Amino acid sequence: MSSRELEGYRSGQPAQLADVLERVLDKGIVIAGDIQINLLDIELLTVKIRLLIASADKAREMGIDWWEGDAFLSKRNGQGELEERLRKLEEAAGLPTSPKQESG
Amino acid sequence: MTTPAATAPLRRDGLGWYLYGVAAADEASARLGAGLAAGAVQGIDLVAEGPLVGVTSRVSLQEFAEPALPERLRDTTWLEQMIRTHEQVLERVLEDASVVPCRFCSVYRSEAELRRFLSERREVLQAALDRVRGRVEVGVKAFIDRDRFAAGRARQNEDVRQQETQVSSAEGGRAYLERRRFEQLVASELERFRGEAADRLHTRLLAAAEDGLALPLQAPELSGREEEMVFNGAYLVTADRGAFEQALASLGRDFRDDGVELELTGPWPAYNFVPEELGAE
Repeated sequence: MSSRELEGYRSGQPAQLADVLERVLDKGIVIAGDIQINLLDIELLTVKIRLLIASADKAREMGIDWWEGDAFLSKRNGQGELEERLRKLEEAAGLPTSPKQESG
Repeated sequence: MTTPAATAPLRRDGLGWYLYGVAAADEASARLGAGLAAGAVQGIDLVAEGPLVGVTSRVSLQEFAEPALPERLRDTTWLEQMIRTHEQVLERVLEDASVVPCRFCSVYRSEAELRRFLSERREVLQAALDRVRGRVEVGVKAFIDRDRFAAGRARQNEDVRQQETQVSSAEGGRAYLERRRFEQLVASELERFRGEAADRLHTRLLAAAEDGLALPLQAPELSGREEEMVFNGAYLVTADRGAFEQALASLGRDFRDDGVELELTGPWPAYNFVPEELGAE
């Protein structure tokens, strides 16, 4: 426990995953062109990772094995709720969307 | 899915260079290099090119290239570990040298490409390094405890105080309605206070820092705290952080009775204070 608490703020906690994510995934220089994974991929991945982590923490709170039974995570099912959410996010962000599920 | 014709054929057994960040050779080679040589950090290679050093690890291209990578990213254990490693390597570098952090999963297919990047983009990388040299990023988050806010700060509002008297004098069904009305008043007072608190925090912290910006607020599922986050900011500060911590402590004392708690994170590599794009070559 930090003595700074007496000074009016908390510090010295281990880094929260959310704080790491908002930096490592969203910030830092992007080296477009030269790299193996192109920029577009990274943006798509970022959206996916966001969904993953958000679900992860939510479910950890509820104390369940969150990855089990999640179509997006467990197998290449592709029809899960997360896929649908991702597709909507991609659409909203003006990114090329994952193949849309044909409903009829 | 076929590989675009423009990319070089993939050596499936090959190793690539995962680039965590770029540091200055004079700082990194002496101090960090000594640490690496002493085995302080496993698996990190410094690739020196002129005045710059790329902080890298050798990674399997089979793991990091299409089609394996998207599949890999579904493995959340692997994913979280990779993200944590990215951050931990940069934090280790930051102990010894200023560093321009790269985004997650920046991978070069060959050493030649990595070296070409470091030499062709030398000027802009150097400028980014100069900006963060001797400085670190810190994070400041503010959380509000609703009950403490209702018991303290909210009472500065005349309507809230009057309504509280109504609650204490009412009985039966009316007491419930008066209670509801009281909670609504506190909620709208909180709504107003949130924006005001965020502005005050950011203005005063920015004055004590080299630069700063407000980040999106984190939902409780992400922040891991029950209390509502009312501010999330990142600041570029001198490495000793003295003036900034003083300002933060003073703000913390000012806001304590309002039910607001401040949290300092970092030091972080200056993710929020390096250019995202390096511009055209």
